[in-house]
Amino acid sequence: MAQAASGKKLWPKIFVRPRLSVFASVRLAVGLLVTLAATILLGAWCPQISQGGAQKVSEMFGEATARQLIGLGVADIFHSPFFLALISLLTLNMIACSAQRVFPKVRSLKAPMVFLSPQEIARLPICLTVEERLNGDKVLESLAARLRGLGYCVRLQGDSLTAEAGKIGRLAPTVTHIGLLSLLLGVTITSWTGFSGFQPVVCGESLSFARSEHSQLWIGKLPDWRVRVDDTRREDYESGDVKQWYSSLSILDADGHVLKTQEISVNNPLSYAGVDIYQSSWGLDQLVLSFNGHKLSLPLQAMGKLHAAFLPLEGKMALIFSVRDQNQPVRIFAKIPEWNSPRLLSQLRRGQSVRLGSVEVGLEKLLPVTGLQYKSDPGLPITYIAFAFICLGVVLAAIPHRQVWAGLGAGVAGGRILAAGGVSRKAKGPFERKLAQVVDGLRRQQAPVPQGVNAPAGSASIVNVENPASEGMILKEEGNVRSSACVN
Amino acid sequence: MSDLQLALTNAAGISSVASFWVFVGSGATKRFQDLLIKVGLCILVVGFMALTIAIVARGIESGRFPLSNLYESLLWFAWGIMGSYLFFCRSYEIRHLGWLASLAAATFFLYGSWLPAGQHEIKPLVPALVSYWRQIHVPPLIVAYAMFFLSGLSAFVQLFQSGRIKSVLFSASGLLLAICAIGLGTFTSCETHILQWLFMGGGLVGVTAGWLALCSVNAKKINEKRAELYDEVEYRSIAVGFPLLTIGIITGGLWANHAWGSYWSWDPKESMALVTWLGYAAYIHLRIHRELSAEKLSLVAIAGMLLTLLTYLGFNSLGFGGLHSYGRFKDGAWRREPNQMELLSSQKLHIEVAELYQVQSLELS
Ligand code: HEM
Repeated sequence: MAQAASGKKLWPKIFVRPRLSVFASVRLAVGLLVTLAATILLGAWCPQISQGGAQKVSEMFGEATARQLIGLGVADIFHSPFFLALISLLTLNMIACSAQRVFPKVRSLKAPMVFLSPQEIARLPICLTVEERLNGDKVLESLAARLRGLGYCVRLQGDSLTAEAGKIGRLAPTVTHIGLLSLLLGVTITSWTGFSGFQPVVCGESLSFARSEHSQLWIGKLPDWRVRVDDTRREDYESGDVKQWYSSLSILDADGHVLKTQEISVNNPLSYAGVDIYQSSWGLDQLVLSFNGHKLSLPLQAMGKLHAAFLPLEGKMALIFSVRDQNQPVRIFAKIPEWNSPRLLSQLRRGQSVRLGSVEVGLEKLLPVTGLQYKSDPGLPITYIAFAFICLGVVLAAIPHRQVWAGLGAGVAGGRILAAGGVSRKAKGPFERKLAQVVDGLRRQQAPVPQGVNAPAGSASIVNVENPASEGMILKEEGNVRSSACVN
Repeated sequence: MSDLQLALTNAAGISSVASFWVFVGSGATKRFQDLLIKVGLCILVVGFMALTIAIVARGIESGRFPLSNLYESLLWFAWGIMGSYLFFCRSYEIRHLGWLASLAAATFFLYGSWLPAGQHEIKPLVPALVSYWRQIHVPPLIVAYAMFFLSGLSAFVQLFQSGRIKSVLFSASGLLLAICAIGLGTFTSCETHILQWLFMGGGLVGVTAGWLALCSVNAKKINEKRAELYDEVEYRSIAVGFPLLTIGIITGGLWANHAWGSYWSWDPKESMALVTWLGYAAYIHLRIHRELSAEKLSLVAIAGMLLTLLTYLGFNSLGFGGLHSYGRFKDGAWRREPNQMELLSSQKLHIEVAELYQVQSLELS
């Protein structure tokens, strides 16, 4: 087969071999991949502190187990030293292995297939033969034409032929691994220079970047401008389910000048100076009420589709205010432990007031809060290029590389016999069947079919992938067709 | 749901059951075997076409891409299994896989039809799902999962044909336990820890026992040609599924970046897809470097099938959280996402609230 003759020059032995060969093993790679998968599985199973907080962990496992899990680092596994070490090792492994084993193979792509003699062809996993008719068609040319028709790239030299298809599939490892390495590069750049965060902002107030999250090795800089929320609202379907959340944002410089305004919604962020701001959640934050003219603001809690505020009173009585969204009235309930469910006292619209006993309760304001997510991701272009490479690489990996060799040799009674064989590691079955079909076609062309008789399918004589009986050599006379099948 | 759509979906479901029985029947007779297999394939093709039309009809009826809840995704999954089996039938003579593929499709149809009626209805989407990215992101994933499932089935046949009957039994029991866990998790309010142990434990023990039992070979059952064929089909379906999974994960990342500002957030479902991806990457490397025998690779493919199942269905039904749940449907679901009324009438909360907020004196008549 083709040899990577000059591939080694690119990667001087002195540099690569001694230092990296330990890391260049594919076994190590598989071990690391499996360990990494198991680690991530653990992280998917145990709620992560960085996502739901420690509370979720104890909710799921109970206090004692939760404390253990947190102590072991399982509850924050993606930031644990173990995980980072695993990723570093994988990176090292991938660099070493790619440099030593994967990338040099690109060179061999250019090298043409070597021609094989009929004896060598007979040793291939599949090998079929056709006898050339003494003064008839040139069987080799005919085979070449058929293979070209199937999309093979064919080369002819004297009595030998080579053909291959899907050679581009051999680029797969290189392209994929370049993509994976660039992905790691992009992620590293981002984690060293980017930042991100989430902040709930009440209407009228500003988002500041002061409390951004970033990695410990950070060398970036936070922006000096800020974002003001001018308005925020929610749009519903007729059924009352949420359809979309909107926030109108203004970018202000240090002196308060407006630099840009935009309304954002889920899936429609604002970008400014490398920072993207996303609508990520929405809620009602505060309920401002007046009791006989005294203002009182109560925090609202999200409960399914509703928001509720609680106001405990003397005794065991509590008042509960629940509201669906800004445009709906606030409902006032009372609840004491003896009642199974709260009792509705009254409803209240904005600007209205109701009397509860001697108290005049008025609704002053309902303050919405918009959950804004922001991030700056300088490594993103590289990451995206990496994504493209990885996608392309794995698609290429699905293309089977097929190679065919054929050669004419001396046959019985002075005739000549064409031996055709080939390999395809990734899709052996269909390849062998196709090749058998092609050779079968050649046979029929070579064998003149008697008038009025249906062509003997000839298939009985060719290698049958399904038929276990076809192992070894089968020689069968059929007119002037001599066929042999060797499967090994 | 319109009558047409219902009829077509039912037709597809019935066809998968029918083809299963025809394929099983074909194993019983030598004389009519070829005929029966052809009949089974025809039924499967008709069912596949009916399902294709049903999914399109559902899309037209709802005015959106018909892939937004568990029920719809199960339809896609069954479509993927039927389709990929038929796809491989074109290049491979895989008659021994037919009954397994039909059985798998039928199981998923049944699972879908047992879901509460609310899942069958066409509902509006929550804001996070309103995006054209959805149709780019989800279908490759579901079809990849279907491919991996088919590869796992093929691995079972490979093991069988290479005479590893015990391995087949052990790993199949592991798979059955895992499926039981998912069934219990979906339709009962069984304790999630038990389910998780059932799934993980069953799967792990099953595959490990299968691995250890590889040395027990029933020489009479060996059919090398077939074993090789199913080995190849197993690899081909992974080779086609893997790029699809990659594309699904990456477009998911692009969507997340577009919508939430981060292409990766270690959400459980996301992480699980990555675990599956890494698992199959390991398979591919093992395969290329011929580190393992075909039988061991089959067990790796079966382990991958379990991972696929965990990623696709396990996370919702076994009580893992995350952004990606298809929507809850269990009766006991309020325990996790409390319903307003339940909360308000709970005395415990009432007292907590009273402690939390300083008590205000107010006169009330
Ligand atoms: C730990 C690091 C890794 C190492 C050392 C490694 C090593 C290798 C090697 C030596 C090859 C074979 C090249 C050849 O023989 O032509 C290969 C192929 C490949 N690798 Fe990796 N790999 C690693 C990680 C990954 C990961 C994480 C993926 C994820 C997708 C991946 C995807 C592929 C693909 C798609 C191929 C081509 C397979 C084919 O041709 O069918 N590799 N890798």
